[in-house]
Amino acid sequence: MASPRCLQALFSRFSDRIGSCCCLIAALCAFAGAAVAAPAANSDSIELELRPRVCTLSARDDHCDTVVEAQWRSPQNESLCLVIVGRPEIKRCWENFSAGLYSVKLVFSEDLVVELRDPQLHNVLVSEAIQVIKEALQLRRKRRQPWSIFN
Amino acid sequence: MHRIAHFICLLMATVLLSQGAAAQAACTAPAADCMVVGEWNIGLSLGLGQRSNPIEGSSAIPLVVIPQISYYGKRFFLENLELGFTLHESDNNTLSLIAAPGYDRVFFYRNDLQNYFVSGGALGLVSTTQHNVDKYALTAGEYPIGARHTTYLVGPEWTFSRGRVTGQVDALYEVTGRHRGYEVRAALAAPLMQSEDSLTASAGLTWKSAAVVRYYYGIERLYQPGAALNPFLKLAYSKPWSARWAFNAFVHYEYLDDAIAASPIVSAHGVTTVFAGVVLKIL
Repeated sequence: MASPRCLQALFSRFSDRIGSCCCLIAALCAFAGAAVAAPAANSDSIELELRPRVCTLSARDDHCDTVVEAQWRSPQNESLCLVIVGRPEIKRCWENFSAGLYSVKLVFSEDLVVELRDPQLHNVLVSEAIQVIKEALQLRRKRRQPWSIFN
Repeated sequence: MHRIAHFICLLMATVLLSQGAAAQAACTAPAADCMVVGEWNIGLSLGLGQRSNPIEGSSAIPLVVIPQISYYGKRFFLENLELGFTLHESDNNTLSLIAAPGYDRVFFYRNDLQNYFVSGGALGLVSTTQHNVDKYALTAGEYPIGARHTTYLVGPEWTFSRGRVTGQVDALYEVTGRHRGYEVRAALAAPLMQSEDSLTASAGLTWKSAAVVRYYYGIERLYQPGAALNPFLKLAYSKPWSARWAFNAFVHYEYLDDAIAASPIVSAHGVTTVFAGVVLKIL
């Protein structure tokens, strides 16, 4: 049978290991948490503004043909890229800038979504859209005139 | 009147027989038979054609330029010289109140708007032919005929479609104070061929009250006709070439009732209208 002093020593060594393990886990968690939270914290502070805000189409128009201006700013320097959903040919990147302006002439018929992403294009930091509003086309059936000579 | 009853029975039978037919497609995009509310539609037919003139001594009316103007509001509409207000519209039935010009004036005045850009002087005197002299034991010569003013008739119009058949019935009353007569216009139309080209056959009739017939074809103290019933047949062909251009042709024959054909100023029992030309959509 082990003496009480031996048991105390054994418990003490075991609890030290558990304590070390807990510290390690806590540190890892804190690090991982910080790593995950970092982009969110950045994206919250980045502002993206698009012009025009909406594109209104008359009943006879079927697309918007306009210069789109995207302006972003952040309290700290950022490295990011601007992309437009569905337009892989459009990409503009900044490295360590706190603001940026990009303008491009575009033709579009559906809502245009502009995104700021990390340089690897994995995470969306901010997203804004230009809404396309179509004027409703009212139609009615043409009067049929079997009686008339010219119809 | 019994002939009208026969026609109406025939019409109703046709409608009832085709009750089971599918409803026509809804208007979902601008097309030849789907108009954009609030927009003017202006077109021009350029071609060659003529309308025979049954009035004694009158030459046929040439048809060269036929403008087509229409405007559709939510309920109001304008179709060339006719305008109307739609009271009810569903996929297969439309009930409107319409105002339409009196048709017969076209035979007396070349510059009547219904003859579209066709110039020419108005008729003031009509010579009696030997044929009419024999008919009425008249003395051959000339006698004045009264002026036929532009008139407008107003009344309800029911347009319906049952399957491929489209029908229309107008019951009209003259409101411009010239003769206070009535007209009933009724017709059925059906496509014989409908792909890109369209070939449509129409048949119908016009019933004119005695007041209408007397105003146009009567002669005071000499010929006071009664009501008339004129049936007609029409065949129309159209082929679109592009969004703006199309080819259009039609032939229309109207048989004139004895009440009209027997008039001393009328020398034919029918009116034939033919036209072939291109249609340009301007707006």
